[in-house]
Amino acid sequence: MEKLSGLKCKECGRKYQAKAIYVCEFCFGPLEVDYNYKQIKSHISKEKIKTGPNSQWRYWELLPVETESVISLGEGFTPLLPARNLGKLLGLEKLYIKNDAVNPTYSFKDRVVSVAITRAVELGFDTVACASTGNLACSVSAYGAYAGIKSFVFIPVDLEKGKIIGAGIYQPNLIGVEGNYDQVNRLCSEIADTFPWAFVNINIRPYYAEGSKTLGFEVAEQLGWKAPEHVVIPLASGCLMTKIYKGLKEFDMLGLIGKVRTKFSGAQAEGCSPIVTAYKENSEIVKPVKPNTIAKSLAIGNPADGYYAWKTMKETGGFAETVNDEEIIEGIRVLAETEGIFTETAGGVTVGVLKKLAQTGRIKKDELTVAFITGNGLKTQEAVSEAVSRPKKIAPTLKAFTEEFQRM
Amino acid sequence: MSKKQLDLIFPEDLVKQPVIWEMSKKFDVIFNIRRARVTETTGELVIQLDGDDETLDKAVEWLRKKGIKVKPVTHDVLE
Repeated sequence: MEKLSGLKCKECGRKYQAKAIYVCEFCFGPLEVDYNYKQIKSHISKEKIKTGPNSQWRYWELLPVETESVISLGEGFTPLLPARNLGKLLGLEKLYIKNDAVNPTYSFKDRVVSVAITRAVELGFDTVACASTGNLACSVSAYGAYAGIKSFVFIPVDLEKGKIIGAGIYQPNLIGVEGNYDQVNRLCSEIADTFPWAFVNINIRPYYAEGSKTLGFEVAEQLGWKAPEHVVIPLASGCLMTKIYKGLKEFDMLGLIGKVRTKFSGAQAEGCSPIVTAYKENSEIVKPVKPNTIAKSLAIGNPADGYYAWKTMKETGGFAETVNDEEIIEGIRVLAETEGIFTETAGGVTVGVLKKLAQTGRIKKDELTVAFITGNGLKTQEAVSEAVSRPKKIAPTLKAFTEEFQRM
Repeated sequence: MSKKQLDLIFPEDLVKQPVIWEMSKKFDVIFNIRRARVTETTGELVIQLDGDDETLDKAVEWLRKKGIKVKPVTHDVLE
């Protein structure tokens, strides 16, 4: 029996073969990967995982690929750091930071892209593609290069130069689309339906999304084989949260950890908060919005997994909160200053919301809490250019330094 | 014939109106409802529309002008 059972509709439960499909032909609900857990249970163990590679592929049994020759740049198994200084500042005694900013292309997207491209190649594709404004573009370009296959990366034509360089250096086919975000979204869906490519977050999405489960697996393993009591996760499409939850539940089901009682709290920027708004309005329908925030990597106005993230927060007793642009920058600064981690704007959102939840008692001081930092600050330097220490200019003499030192 | 698989989000004031019936009277499109959810303040309809390209575009534009948010079932793919 294979570990992959197939694909299953998240809405109506209809089953499909594990091909490059993503929407249920009956109810148009999203498809997700289904596994033969009985077979997996007979193979997986803590000991086996511990002797696996120091990457997300130590959880190969629970990832949706058949090959053992995976396309990996060593993504995952990133540090889980006890955040004593930040915890002290926020009054949290058991706070941890999962630092996923140190992946090969400096964001958690490497996890999902590694899975997506491995699966795409084993399904016979020779071209991968994505539509992106940043992190995903970098990751698809890098992994496409490493896999030795063609890659097409669609970006809005006016994307900042820094982000174009971050992807362009890997020499993908970069296509700048003249149009607003809605038009780019529509075009890419049409291209995915027309060209025989592996569009990582469209027709390969069921496999791609599974990569995020490994964040849940790792945190549980790094905590000594147990789930945290509370997690704070940035919400863009909502997929990250739902998959971390799925990962923890799989570990629970397979007997690798105890019962999962983790509260899942979500973080969005005020300028793009469709999921948090639905949570606060207690509405299971997530209404699309037009994004206007400095947290570009979270600026998804019509999130594909918004409803499922909403459901996760409600089901687990978690919370949802937003922060404004100033609070995002403050969040980035505080994390750097207290824990030595320079995160991008999405991390600023997470830390800002973590602070709000702690200050209002929604995270208890003794709750074992993990905040997920998903991207590196070097990618969004312009956002914090006004918040960094400036050099104090002095003449090249000991006297000048001594005088400056006395003023410090 | 082309087809569009769409996710329609209705504002509260349109939830009780027969908007889809009205659309099908105005435009030569075939609709096929696949899934729906209604709450106190909003409604969501997952639907397939079949017709020629020009008529489909006009029907979608008409829905938008009514105040309905019309999105592909894939949602946003620009990440």
